[in-house]
Amino acid sequence: MFSFIIRRTFSSIPTILILILISFALMRLAPGSPFSSDRGLPPEVLANLEAKYGLNLPWFEQLYTYLKGIIFSFDFGPSFKYKDRSVNDILAQGFPVTLTYGLWSFFIAVAVGIPLGIAAAVRHNTKLDYLAVGFSIGAQVLPNFVMAPILVIIFTLWLNWLPGGGWNGGEWQYVIMPVIALSTSYMASIARITRSSMLEVLSANFIRTAKAKGLANSSIILNHALKPALLPVISYLGPAFVSMITGSVIIDIYFSTGGMGQFFVDAALNRDYSLLMGVTIVFGVMTILFNTIVDIAYAWLDPKIRL
Amino acid sequence: MLVNKKKLAAMVDSASSQTPIEGRSQWQDAMVRFKQNKAALVSVFVLFAMITIAFIGPLLSQWDYETIDWALTGNAAEMGAPSIANGHFFGTDDLGRDLYARVLQGTQISLMVGIIGTVVAVLVGVLYGAVSGYFGGRIDNVMMRFVDILMSIPYMFILIILFVMFGRSVYILFIGLGLFSWMDMARIVRGQTLSLKHKEFIEAAVASGVSDFTIIVRHIVPNLLGIVVVYTSLMIPNLILLESFISFLGLGIQEPLTSWGALISDGAKTIQYGTLWQLAFPLGFFITGLFCFFFIGDGLRDAFDPKDR
Repeated sequence: MFSFIIRRTFSSIPTILILILISFALMRLAPGSPFSSDRGLPPEVLANLEAKYGLNLPWFEQLYTYLKGIIFSFDFGPSFKYKDRSVNDILAQGFPVTLTYGLWSFFIAVAVGIPLGIAAAVRHNTKLDYLAVGFSIGAQVLPNFVMAPILVIIFTLWLNWLPGGGWNGGEWQYVIMPVIALSTSYMASIARITRSSMLEVLSANFIRTAKAKGLANSSIILNHALKPALLPVISYLGPAFVSMITGSVIIDIYFSTGGMGQFFVDAALNRDYSLLMGVTIVFGVMTILFNTIVDIAYAWLDPKIRL
Repeated sequence: MLVNKKKLAAMVDSASSQTPIEGRSQWQDAMVRFKQNKAALVSVFVLFAMITIAFIGPLLSQWDYETIDWALTGNAAEMGAPSIANGHFFGTDDLGRDLYARVLQGTQISLMVGIIGTVVAVLVGVLYGAVSGYFGGRIDNVMMRFVDILMSIPYMFILIILFVMFGRSVYILFIGLGLFSWMDMARIVRGQTLSLKHKEFIEAAVASGVSDFTIIVRHIVPNLLGIVVVYTSLMIPNLILLESFISFLGLGIQEPLTSWGALISDGAKTIQYGTLWQLAFPLGFFITGLFCFFFIGDGLRDAFDPKDR
C-alpha cells in the first residue's frame, strides 16, 4: 500500500508539468502581445512594457524563469492588467473564498448524497426510493447556473431571508446559497450512483449468505455491502471535483463572492495571460492532487488495484 | 426399423408450410425495448416538436432575433411583458428585442452545438479508442496515459483560454467543445475493442491479410455501434450543458447570436426588476430539452444493455 501511494504521488508530477507546459504554450501562441489591445501604444512604449515583463526574451528563457518561479518560490509573476499587484496577491485574495464554499459544497454533496443513495437502495421501491430517484433525475437539469438564479428568486426576492450576493468575510448567510447552488447536482449524481451500485451489491451472493447467517440488517449494510458499493462512487468523485471547481466560476460571478472565478473571467476578458495561467495552474494542481487522493482511497478499498 | 411414412410425410408437410422464423438483430431487439419505454418515447416526440418549432417558429413572428423594438426600449420591465397584441409572444429582453425569436434562435444554436460537438467528439473518441485498443501493448499504454492526463486537468479553463485567444466564432465553439469531450468515449471504445479483437472474425481478417486500418474501420467500429449510440445520446445534453456554462459566463456565443446559456444569464441578471419571463422562457426550453435528451439516452441504454438496468 505504501509503495502504491509513493508511486501514485510521483506519477502525478509529469501531469502537473504537462499542465504548466500546455498553459505556457497557449500563452505564447496567442496572437499579439497582451498590451497590443491597449489604445494604440507607441512601439517604444510597447517594447519597454514587454521588456519589463520579460516578453522580449526567447521562449525557453521565459519558460525557464516561469518554471523556476513556480517551483522554487511559488511565484506566478506579475499580473499584466493589475499593474500594482502580482498574480500571487490576487490568488491569495480569491483562493480562500473559493476553498471555503467549495469544500462545504463537496462535503455536503457527499454527506447527503451517499446516505440518500443507500437509503433509497435499502428501501427499494418505496416512497423514499421514488423520492430519491425523482430528485436525482430532476437535479440533472439543474446545474449551478440554473440553481443560482432560482435560489435568488426564492430566498432573496420572495422570502427576503438571505442576501443575494457578496461574501462579507464568509458569514453563514452569505455562504448558504453558493453552497446549495454548487452542490445540488453533484449530490443527485452521487445519490444515483450510490443507489444503483448498492442495489447491485445487495443482490450479490455474499449478501444472501450474510442474511442466511442471521446477521442484522444494519450490520450487513455497514460491514459487508458498503465497501464494495462505494467503489463506483469514489471513482466518480474525481470528475465531480473537476466540474465543481469549474462550477465555482459561475458561483463567483453570480454571487459576487470575490473568489478565483471572478478573477479568471476578468482575466479572460482582459487578456491578462499571466493571471489566466496562474488560476488555471492552481486549479489544475488542486485537481491533480485530488485525483491522486481518490486513486489512493480507491486502492485502499479495492485491493485488486494495488498492483 | 420401419419408418412410419405417413407420419414422416405429415412432418415434412408441416415443416415446409411454416415460414422460417426470422432472426432478430440486436438493433431490432433494441428498438422493441426502446418503444416500451414511455418516457423515452414521449421525449422523442417532444424533442421533435421542439426542433420543428425552433426552425419553423421564427417565420410566425413579425420580429427577428436582433431587431430592437424601439417602442419598448428602456421600459422592458413595464411594457415588455409577454403579449399577443404587440407580437412579442414571450415578451422582450432588456434591450427591447423579441424574446420569442431569441429563444428559438438560442434553441437552434444550443441544439446545433450539442449535435455538431458530439459528432466531433464521437469521431475522435471512437477512432482513438479503437486504435488504442486494437494495437494494445505500449501504444495502448501511452495513448491511455495521455487520456488520463487530459481527464485530470480542468480542461474548461484551457478551453476558455482558447476562446479568448482565437476569437469566439460559433465554429470554434462547436469544434472546441467536441475536441475537449472525446476522452470518455475513447475509454469506453477501447475497453470494447480489447474484448473484440480476439474474436474469430478478427483473426480471420488478420489471417487473410487485411490491413490494420481496414480491420478497425470495417470490422471493429461497426461492432461497437450499439454502445457508441448509447453514449452519444448521453453526450449531447452534456455538451449543451457545457456550452450553456461558457455562454452563461459571457465567454461563449457572441451577440447578437444567443444560446440557452446566454439567455438564462441575461434573464438571471434582471430578475430583481420583476421581469421573470426573461428567465422563465429560456429556462423552460432548457429544462425541457435536457430532460428529453437524458430520457432518450437512458432509454437507449436500457434498450441496448438490458442487464444494466
